[in-house]
Amino acid sequence: MKTAASLRFGEKVIISDIDSSNPSFRRLLEVGFTPGQEIQLINTSAFSDPMAFAVRGTLIAIRKNEAECIIVS
Amino acid sequence: MNSPVLTELPLITLVGPPNSGKTTLFNYLSGKKFKTVNYPGSTVEYSTAKILSKYNLQADLLDSPGIISLNPGSPDEEVSVSSLYNHPKLGSPDLVIVTVDASQITRHLFLAKQLVMSGFKMIIAVTMVDLLHRRNLTVSSKKLSEELGCDVVLIDGRTGKGINDIIDLIKNNIESLSSDGRILPTRTFSDSDKNELLGIYHELEGIENKVLEPLNKKSGDVNLEKANAKLIVLNPTIKEAINKPDEITLRIDKFLLHRIWGLFFFFLIMAATFTSIFWIADPFMGYVDDFFALLAESASEFLGDGWVSNFVADGVITGTGAVLVFLPQILMLFLILGLLEDTGYLARGAMLIDRPLSKIGLNGKSFVPMLSGFACAIPAMMAARTIANRKERLLTIFIIPLMSCSARLPVYALLIAFLIPGDKPWIGGLILATIYIFSIVSSLIAAAIINKYNKSLLKAKDDSSFILELPAYRVPKPLIVIRNSFESAKQYITHAGPVILVFSIVLWFLTYFPNHSPEIPDAQLMDKTELAESITAERLSSSYASILGKVIEPVMTPIGMDWRVGVSLIATFAAREVFVSSMALIFKVTADEESLQSSILTSMRSAKNDKTGELLFTPATIIGLIVFFIFALQCISTLAVSRKETGSWRIPFLQVTLFTVLAYLFTFITVNGLRFLGLP
Repeated sequence: MKTAASLRFGEKVIISDIDSSNPSFRRLLEVGFTPGQEIQLINTSAFSDPMAFAVRGTLIAIRKNEAECIIVS
Repeated sequence: MNSPVLTELPLITLVGPPNSGKTTLFNYLSGKKFKTVNYPGSTVEYSTAKILSKYNLQADLLDSPGIISLNPGSPDEEVSVSSLYNHPKLGSPDLVIVTVDASQITRHLFLAKQLVMSGFKMIIAVTMVDLLHRRNLTVSSKKLSEELGCDVVLIDGRTGKGINDIIDLIKNNIESLSSDGRILPTRTFSDSDKNELLGIYHELEGIENKVLEPLNKKSGDVNLEKANAKLIVLNPTIKEAINKPDEITLRIDKFLLHRIWGLFFFFLIMAATFTSIFWIADPFMGYVDDFFALLAESASEFLGDGWVSNFVADGVITGTGAVLVFLPQILMLFLILGLLEDTGYLARGAMLIDRPLSKIGLNGKSFVPMLSGFACAIPAMMAARTIANRKERLLTIFIIPLMSCSARLPVYALLIAFLIPGDKPWIGGLILATIYIFSIVSSLIAAAIINKYNKSLLKAKDDSSFILELPAYRVPKPLIVIRNSFESAKQYITHAGPVILVFSIVLWFLTYFPNHSPEIPDAQLMDKTELAESITAERLSSSYASILGKVIEPVMTPIGMDWRVGVSLIATFAAREVFVSSMALIFKVTADEESLQSSILTSMRSAKNDKTGELLFTPATIIGLIVFFIFALQCISTLAVSRKETGSWRIPFLQVTLFTVLAYLFTFITVNGLRFLGLP
């Protein structure tokens, strides 16, 4: 199972599901990480955490453990 | 649910996601009676104002904090959402204006859609259409209005275009209020599940497809049919264009968010920020200082001798000056932070520093409050409200007093001047830089240690998260930043001002009474200056302050100080900078010929310990004092704000205890260690 946390720089993928066991899942959905949506890894901080994704026309930084609950295909 | 008649002014509430241009719109619309109010019993702040009088519209305008959805994600958001439904002072809004960033329309319509579903009477203000134009797209307000069933208006935040349209819409809506009565919201969203959220997004994606149109500069030339055909063809392109973040932003981020260089630029920008705060504010602080010195002098000349004159000059005027002298620096800090935030960089700084800070129990969002702590702990603690996680927020507030605030600067300036030869000022700069770095490092160590004992010290649940939008880079809007900086500075004065003033007056009282006009033997043999000096010295040594000082003397002796330093240290609880004036007062300095600082230094160099007869101030005790000031939390106003922000006296009490013990312990080690090593 591939998650957004394992993307390479510039890699574009489609979200297939959001793991609802993470307490942040609702907020991830609300800011636009929804199944079917295309995301792209744009930047990461010096320690590969947090990671900044392009989603719905903006950049959103999330921690690596939050990226891990975004399941992509 | 309709209420019969409208008795008060209609209430218009502005709502919107963060970075949606909400505050810009508020600033365009708001006129008189601009003020910031606190939601009772909490830390959430609102700005209220009347609508600008030139629009000839009688209504109250309320600017609420930015929210992403009606389902709150943090305690502060919870208050924001529940007060949107029913504000404890202002009631339910008669009209809601929700701002939506055109360049990320689906994301931002999410909140708008929830508001529509809740049954609010509302207007959608679409902002930042210029960002959409950069992608050769535009949005049809007519179609959006049809799709969502409410009024829609396009606003250009930079030119103010569209403001008149929104005023017209507000007027229409308010008129319909008087005929229909007010409409109250009927549902909330705290119960909505994953499927409902996804359902809303699905619907919004359909709406997005309909309302976005390619930007056609020659739209008049193209017939409607052709345009429509083109639209259908272009739709996949539209989807791609709207999903792509701003091109210029991506290019800037290649540097500023670079994996390696990102941190380098971050420290460069921070260094530049600090240097400019101190460098630009310095002359203005001088003016304020001079002004109050002059005012005090003319007041005491005008009022003659006696306690009234002394009270006005030394108690009231000097006390007020002590508050206002830091105003330029605080204003500069807010100005620069405001500009940095407006460009979109601060969110990136938070992202860059999140990982190291999360290791010690803080959050990337702790970075802005910690930064503000270098000017003043009071606005810094208030800035910690943006941190959603309670533990991280409390921990941030806890360590803010260790940030070297600007009130410590005059103290360090005096103590460093004592240490270094006058012809080598650069050493002073070096020492000051060392103090700053030392204070940052110790605050981080303190955070790490307190984090370990989170359960017993902070008692907060830990479910850390960092989800932060990195807004597109924009040219900042200086006028709005200036207005907000003045508002924040005003808050500093109203929060800290009265406390500092009262303490200066108390301190004055303690040093002036009971023996306010002592008998001086051989008075006729002295000239006027000598007589004044002797009276001040005699008055002080028999004052309440000296009685108090002698009580605490046993505590001061182990760290190489005497009662006079002890009294000065107690006095610093009003404000740390009071140390300098207190030293001046206690070591009976007269400010003729020489500057105030060099005359304090002269008398400090010759001051002797009453008991041992040795020199009181040596390099060892001075370095000890510096260490004391790095750790000690000597500021009543900070404690008061900490109490307000954390909701109880527990954390401020822990802070003052811990930091005082640390300060005393480290001073003891420093002074005695240095003496052991042979430093006088």
